[in-house]
Amino acid sequence: MPYGDTIPLHASSQSDIDEIENLINASIQSGPATVHPTRPLSPPRASIPVSSPFVASEISPQAYQKPPLVPPGVPPPASAAHRQNVGGGVGFGASPNTLTEPVWDTVKRDLSRIISNLKLVVFPNPNREDPGKALRDWDLWGPFFFIIFLGLTLSWSASVKKSEVFAVAFAVLAAGAVILTLNVLLLGGHIIFFQSLSLLGYCLFPLDAGAVICMLKNNAIIKLVVVSITLVWSSWAAYPFISAAVGPRRKALALYPVFLMYISVGFLIIAID
Amino acid sequence: MEDAYGSLPSSHLLGSVPAVIPPNEKPENKEGATASMQMFPPGNGGYRAPGSSNVGDEQPATSWAGVFSISSYTPYFNVDTDVVVDRLMSSVYPLRGDFFSKIGANPDLYAPVWISTTLVFMLAALGNCASYLMKKKDPSHQWLFDVAYFNWSAGVVYGYVLIVPAASYFLLQYLGSNGSLIRLWCLWGYSLFIFIPASLLLVVPVEVFRWVIILLAGSASAGFISLNLRTYTEGHDLMVWVVSVFLLQFFLAILLKVLFFA
Repeated sequence: MPYGDTIPLHASSQSDIDEIENLINASIQSGPATVHPTRPLSPPRASIPVSSPFVASEISPQAYQKPPLVPPGVPPPASAAHRQNVGGGVGFGASPNTLTEPVWDTVKRDLSRIISNLKLVVFPNPNREDPGKALRDWDLWGPFFFIIFLGLTLSWSASVKKSEVFAVAFAVLAAGAVILTLNVLLLGGHIIFFQSLSLLGYCLFPLDAGAVICMLKNNAIIKLVVVSITLVWSSWAAYPFISAAVGPRRKALALYPVFLMYISVGFLIIAID
Repeated sequence: MEDAYGSLPSSHLLGSVPAVIPPNEKPENKEGATASMQMFPPGNGGYRAPGSSNVGDEQPATSWAGVFSISSYTPYFNVDTDVVVDRLMSSVYPLRGDFFSKIGANPDLYAPVWISTTLVFMLAALGNCASYLMKKKDPSHQWLFDVAYFNWSAGVVYGYVLIVPAASYFLLQYLGSNGSLIRLWCLWGYSLFIFIPASLLLVVPVEVFRWVIILLAGSASAGFISLNLRTYTEGHDLMVWVVSVFLLQFFLAILLKVLFFA
């Protein structure tokens, strides 16, 4: 069979090729940042018939299937600007659209989660008696922000060795949260590691507020009173979760290190001037 | 998990950490499973979920992955509140040599860890308070909070509690008698407990009072350690080592006074 340079294509194949070309052109236009999430596998497409036209008749029913290679809704070029997202907002099992949403949406969602977790943990609410129900939607952004904020506040209030103060505060809080969680696990308690880290971070919020007040008002008596109040508040916030995690005969063993950590942070807040 | 430790048959062997055989091994062995004839049940080479009752460090040295799994350290934290309080109270009296029989088959690492951590914080905090009170008597000095106290106290306390028992353990092994590292760590950890109330008293800015307190605390702590070590190494003549431990503990007390409560 003499094959020429140009192979006569089936009619529908030409339209398929046109569609593919359009798709390639569209994706080049919209920029390299487009990440299309995985689509369901397309059913077997019609291949370009390169053999003699005699075979064409057999494959023609297949070829009429539109290959679903065109993603439903190619993102309009207008949203190309929002493509470079702060990717931190994607939680587990998030829909693919979180990569293409505006940055403000991501930040707003994280902020609302932080606030709702804060309300659950630190402020009185009916869910406190059942620690499994509260803080189910834990995250680590809140604790991270609180630890950094406390370190920065202490560092601002210090008059000498500012960076060392920040380092000590950050190390104590971060390592302390990990070690406290390990302590509960070693005592035979049942908690989820990251949920406990998240909880201990959120319970720092009262101490953060106390540190800000102490930074503004440098009077020793006021500092003492404020730090004592916030210390009690933090400990009260952390108490139900920790005590529910271990057996009743080891509650004090699990709670004492938590108090120790908060007392030492409270001391840092009072003493730094 | 509790009943596996309740019926330990080897608690009469002083110095041995009893082997705990888990009741039945899970049939799912990952690809890292070692099939050694000496080990039963065969160990998982990989990560074990916390809460499983395997004891990783009872297996021979080929399976070191147990170091990274929490469940291999759980036996050393198997104490209740009243047990810990009881041991703490007994550590204050230096003239009873029965600490090792009190530990029995259940040496715990909870107390050494948290006693040393508490001591680190208290030394740093109270050291700053003490210097503040001293400076108050001399108003020309400007008192500043010295955060380096935290570094010093952490270094001294943690270093002492980690290194000295380890060195003693190796010394005992070298000299032929059998020691247990965990018990030595436990003993040294509890011996530091008396420094916590002592440091509270050391804040008082009267120099003579401070020296009296630290001498009393130092001798109590050193006496506690050396007496118990003497009963521990009953059959062997290790008097030199016991005396040096006594002196070392005393030296630690002096060091704490000089560094933090000058």
